[in-house]
Amino acid sequence: MIEVMFGSLWAMLTSPQTMGLMLIAVLLGLIVGVTPGIGGRLSIALAIPFVFGMQMIPGAVFLLTMHAVNGTSGQISSIMFGVPGDGDDAATTIDGYPMAKKGEAGRALGASITASGFGGIVGACVFAVMIPILEPVVLAFSPAEFFLLALLGITFIAFIAGGNNIFRGLIVGFFGLMLATIGTDPYTGTPRFAGDYLFLWDGLSLVTAVLALFAVPEMIALGVQGGSISAVSRETARFSYRQLFEGVLEVPRHWWLALRTSIIGAVIGMIPGLGSSAAAWFCYGHAVQTSPNPERFGKGAVEGVIAPETGSNAREGGALLPTLFFGVPASSGMAVLLGAFLILGIQPGPKMLTDQLPLVWTLIWALVIGNLIAITFLLFICRWAATLTFVNGAMLVPFIVVVVALGAYVAEGQWENLVILVGLSIVGYGLLRAGWPRAPFVIGLVLGKIAEESLHKAMELWGFAFFLRPLSLILIALIVLTIAYAIYRNIRPSKALAGLRIVQ
Amino acid sequence: MKSLLGKYSNSSMTLVMLGIFVVMVAIASRYPAEARFMPFVVGIPPILLCLLQLVLDARARHRPPADASSDIERAQATASQIVGHQVEFGASGTTEPQLSPAETVHRELVLWGYFLGFIAGIVLFGFWVAIPLFLVSFLRFQAKAGWRTALPLGVGASVALFLVFERGLKVQVHSGFVTSFVLDHLSR
Repeated sequence: MIEVMFGSLWAMLTSPQTMGLMLIAVLLGLIVGVTPGIGGRLSIALAIPFVFGMQMIPGAVFLLTMHAVNGTSGQISSIMFGVPGDGDDAATTIDGYPMAKKGEAGRALGASITASGFGGIVGACVFAVMIPILEPVVLAFSPAEFFLLALLGITFIAFIAGGNNIFRGLIVGFFGLMLATIGTDPYTGTPRFAGDYLFLWDGLSLVTAVLALFAVPEMIALGVQGGSISAVSRETARFSYRQLFEGVLEVPRHWWLALRTSIIGAVIGMIPGLGSSAAAWFCYGHAVQTSPNPERFGKGAVEGVIAPETGSNAREGGALLPTLFFGVPASSGMAVLLGAFLILGIQPGPKMLTDQLPLVWTLIWALVIGNLIAITFLLFICRWAATLTFVNGAMLVPFIVVVVALGAYVAEGQWENLVILVGLSIVGYGLLRAGWPRAPFVIGLVLGKIAEESLHKAMELWGFAFFLRPLSLILIALIVLTIAYAIYRNIRPSKALAGLRIVQ
Repeated sequence: MKSLLGKYSNSSMTLVMLGIFVVMVAIASRYPAEARFMPFVVGIPPILLCLLQLVLDARARHRPPADASSDIERAQATASQIVGHQVEFGASGTTEPQLSPAETVHRELVLWGYFLGFIAGIVLFGFWVAIPLFLVSFLRFQAKAGWRTALPLGVGASVALFLVFERGLKVQVHSGFVTSFVLDHLSR
């Protein structure tokens, strides 16, 4: 194990290609994070055409690093201008913006950037520690459990993303599963829903579907809204590097809180469906509850910046665990990443622990090194990176649409995918307009093939008795309980999870 | 009329999904038993869910309207709940005034027009003709950039993408049916 662990680090550090790609990924991830309108999952989807044809390890390192450092720069606009980019940034705004108003923007940024990087590194460490613990559990899973795990993943995502109405999330998840059945049936060779269209015989292009459901609707919505946040006063953006350094030192000063919230974030990340918003808000709440002076929070307490940032970035390390070992993405961002991994030839599942352990360790190191590079970069460039917040959304739309079209075409080299892109974009925009969740679709589409394969194997091995295996019964109970709780919540809406639904 | 559309938009989406599932299950029923097994497993439960959702949508129409606060307002409410006093963020996020439903629909149609036109342009004339045309026209007329910004940005980005994909990644992109036809004709 030790040999593989450090062998992977050495191989990564001595590969100019991998390190070069990692540097580019950090820079792109930071720029994307601070630019309004482009979320983490969208940036991964947009990067897919550029990793096409790359080798497995450099491609995976590039995508994971970009995804992992995305959130590190996202809090700049929250702190400097009080404009949260997404849910976890909103938690940082509570104390970050009051600090900026008091003339401590540099201190808040220094603390948040360092906390975010620290969280990312601790998250990777938690993942590494969990490998030997989880190995026997993962290897105990049979095809029956993998099928039920796919359903559980969709149920969790539908539960969180669907808010009070789990059924919409489930319907969208099943829609993803249904579209995953398009193509040649693996057992009879019958082309399903493909007719004479040969380009559909290999199945629906995952990249096209993801771009259509997320990128195009988001871009249309951004174009409709238009505008930037340029009306916000830029005065608060003034800060000194001395303040920034003071902020950096706040993290070691509050190391115990940073460590606790990082571990909490990583554990939340392991639970499919609980997004980074949940990690950030939970960690913020924890910081308030455990503080001897809770009344300082909301008025510029630095702990209120450290806790959500460590939590939300540590989540990425935890989220990799179910994604890589069970093939169940913990979030929609991880689902897109998983889709990209499949394109690169990485097959998630228990074999990652046996045959692909060097790759797993490379990804862990990529998280650690990527976060270290991101902190260093961002501490120097954050005052300039802040100006990206003022980019007019309407100016970004055409460039992203162009990359989307190229991505849809390059993934399979078929022009017909552009027609599929249009069709699914209409469905995606319909879902967006009607306020339906779209994340379960990606999970369904990604898990569809694995679910079908597992179901067939389970039926061959045990018939319908596979439902009665002890582990299967536990998973079935979890699915039923989740749905039952969602129905209860629908009948008696509560505010219990309001914070988790801020941005879906 | 518009409020009626808004009122029934959830049901419309449910009906669209129901239609998709019913059609796909009906098509799958013609496949051999093993091939139709998975489409049935993932197609029949959502049909039932859609029917249930229609009932829930109908019930929701008789309830008072749901909380119409924005994401930021909800985040502020959650933050205030946690810290125990009123918390306010800096801005609502955009300088744009709230759009009227008619203006929203108008903008949506224009943007969909650009998108569909761009895709049709690619299919007919190829990527390297459609991309600069789309970028320059969108930047100039939709993003309201001046010609001095739109032209260099549009053409520059197109050249950069050409160099990355055609030269760097050696990807042969779709050249367009009309362009190919014309080039074939000229080369004869």
